[in-house]
Amino acid sequence: MTARTAACPNCGATIEFRWSSAVQTVCPYCKAVLVRRDVDLEKVGMVGDLPPTSSPIQLGTEGRWQDDGFVVVGRIVYRYDRGGWNEWYLRTMRGESAWLSDAQGDLAISAPARQPGLLPAATHLRVGQWYVIDDTRFRVASLTRARYAGVEGELPFTTWDRDESLFADLDTEGSGDALRFATIDYSDDAPAAYVGEYVELEQLAARNLRRIEGW
Amino acid sequence: MKHPIYTTFGALLIVLLVVAELRGWTPMRPTEVKNIPRSIRDNPGAYRPHYRTFFGSGHYMRGK
Amino acid sequence: MSAPAVASLTCPQCGAAIELRTLDQALSVVCGSCGSILDARDPNLHVLQEFKARQKFEPQIPLGTRGTLKGEKWEAVGYQVRGIVVDGTTYCWDEYLLFNPYKGFRYLTQYDGHWNDVQVIKAAPDEHTSGGRPYILLHGETFKHFQTATAETYFVLGEFPWQVRVGDTAVTRDFVAPPRMLSEERTPEETTWSLGTYMPAAQIWSAFGLPGKPPHARGVYANQPDAYMPLAGSMAKRYLLFVAVIIALILLRLVTASRETVFATNSAFFRPGAPADSLAFVTPSFTVSGRTANLEVTTEAQVDNGWAYFEYALVNEATGTTYEFGREVSYYYGRDSDGNWSEGSRRDRAVLPSVPAGQYFLRVLPEAEVPTSFLEYRIVVRRDVPTLTPYLFCLALLALPPILVALRAWGMESARWKESDYAPSSDDDDDE
Repeated sequence: MTARTAACPNCGATIEFRWSSAVQTVCPYCKAVLVRRDVDLEKVGMVGDLPPTSSPIQLGTEGRWQDDGFVVVGRIVYRYDRGGWNEWYLRTMRGESAWLSDAQGDLAISAPARQPGLLPAATHLRVGQWYVIDDTRFRVASLTRARYAGVEGELPFTTWDRDESLFADLDTEGSGDALRFATIDYSDDAPAAYVGEYVELEQLAARNLRRIEGW
Repeated sequence: MKHPIYTTFGALLIVLLVVAELRGWTPMRPTEVKNIPRSIRDNPGAYRPHYRTFFGSGHYMRGK
Repeated sequence: MSAPAVASLTCPQCGAAIELRTLDQALSVVCGSCGSILDARDPNLHVLQEFKARQKFEPQIPLGTRGTLKGEKWEAVGYQVRGIVVDGTTYCWDEYLLFNPYKGFRYLTQYDGHWNDVQVIKAAPDEHTSGGRPYILLHGETFKHFQTATAETYFVLGEFPWQVRVGDTAVTRDFVAPPRMLSEERTPEETTWSLGTYMPAAQIWSAFGLPGKPPHARGVYANQPDAYMPLAGSMAKRYLLFVAVIIALILLRLVTASRETVFATNSAFFRPGAPADSLAFVTPSFTVSGRTANLEVTTEAQVDNGWAYFEYALVNEATGTTYEFGREVSYYYGRDSDGNWSEGSRRDRAVLPSVPAGQYFLRVLPEAEVPTSFLEYRIVVRRDVPTLTPYLFCLALLALPPILVALRAWGMESARWKESDYAPSSDDDDDE
């Protein structure tokens, strides 16, 4: 994808875009949260410094997944009562979206489900329920209420107007494919389903990883 | 080869077994005496065996 | 650009410096000086729990030490002492949290010198029951339920990717398939499954470059690999091979033994009570031909509630070499309150070793004590007869090593399961 540049309306610095259709982006220099309004960028807020992370993934990390190349263009930091995780936004060579979730060294890639089926409203969600998403039976394993603790880079939606979101984590029955999972995301009005797999860093053939001192 | 010691031990034992069978070894230990004279043929009653232990619960009768 | 590996913080309780190694992954961090457990996510590091452990423990792998396991670098960042109470006795073990930013987290547990390399697994495995005992099938291995207990955290040091507190409890269930162990940990909030692999202490010591020698492991641990069971199995197979060979030899012998009768008296009489020397006689000379082989002398006497004793001398006519031996035959019978009884045998079989070919005769002195006034007997001499004794002796001797190993294996399994929920209850319950 071709890099595009624009001037930050807050500090005037030249921002280079990894993804041309980003809805929201954060200026890497002044940390202003910018939202795209047609052609122009509008500043809607500021984001504080993100705490140092031990994640090997960073903006600009490239890799391969399911025969498609991807680049990490954005990041959301979620926090909930028992921890937190990074959700990295990926853009693939074929122009598709994917998310790489990164928590305690466990990586998982997911993409929007092609056949989400009928998803329940947030109030009807219960742990243990079964749903068929993308021809696979998934069972609700846990419900997590997480808040937005920080953003970085380019995202396909705005987060500055969000406080917290509900997520449902679903797993498949222990039939051997313990690595598949699904997520139902309630951050928008309509629930969105994602289907994915747990992966090891080596499987992604990642390049441009964060260099961590001493490792 | 697994269990080299056990296999070697077993092989040696079997070889020993074969040798014993070929040579006719048995556990019995009869008293072996050399050079018994021919006169025993003529006077078998005068023959005196050379062992001293008792066999079984029988009595050993010596002499007349 | 290079990111710093550690963050430096200050303990709000005592002001000591704290190094955070797992950065944004840590949820709690323990101040090494005052023992307070702090909220690692809070910029102010508010105190989650003040130091309340009953005693301090010293980790065998100092925090911050790096080691190489399976070719990967890992750093010890957290240490916990947890324990269970069984029949009034507390059993403590160590848990080390290892970290690698590219790999995540891993655990090492230590109990009585036994170490395990543990990783959290994603999915809850399917559980089944057999004979009242639960078991799990995973990756083709059968994990048998070993123990259910409530584990309590007694001491913490370092940092953890969850909120840890001294006094936390979790219901743990362990399933073993040596050298592996599946453990379930249940708290009201969540259930976690982990898979452990037994590791010899020496491997831990060399992986982390720890000084000296590791402490000796005591007893047999739940998932300690079976040293003897597979050995017993393969030795038993080797024994069966020996059995096959020996059976083949027996069959071969049965077929090739000539069993040639070289002399027989079909029926001889003798009157008991006559003076001894007059009863001695010599047989006609007979030929023993062929290779040196055994010689069987069968004595059969029709004793009825009496005995007969035959003093034999087998004389080689040419060399004068003589084999002296005596054989007894006795047979008693009667009837009592339990019915008919009998004792002894009317037949005796003596097999002489290695009799060379030649001309022989037998000198015989019979003797008897029988109710009748005469005794009928017969003597048969055969050469090269098959005997079963040496084969049976070999089979018995060869069975010893596999039996000993099997006993060892059984002993080890006994010791292993003695520590489980399924230990056979002892009448006298001593603590070993």
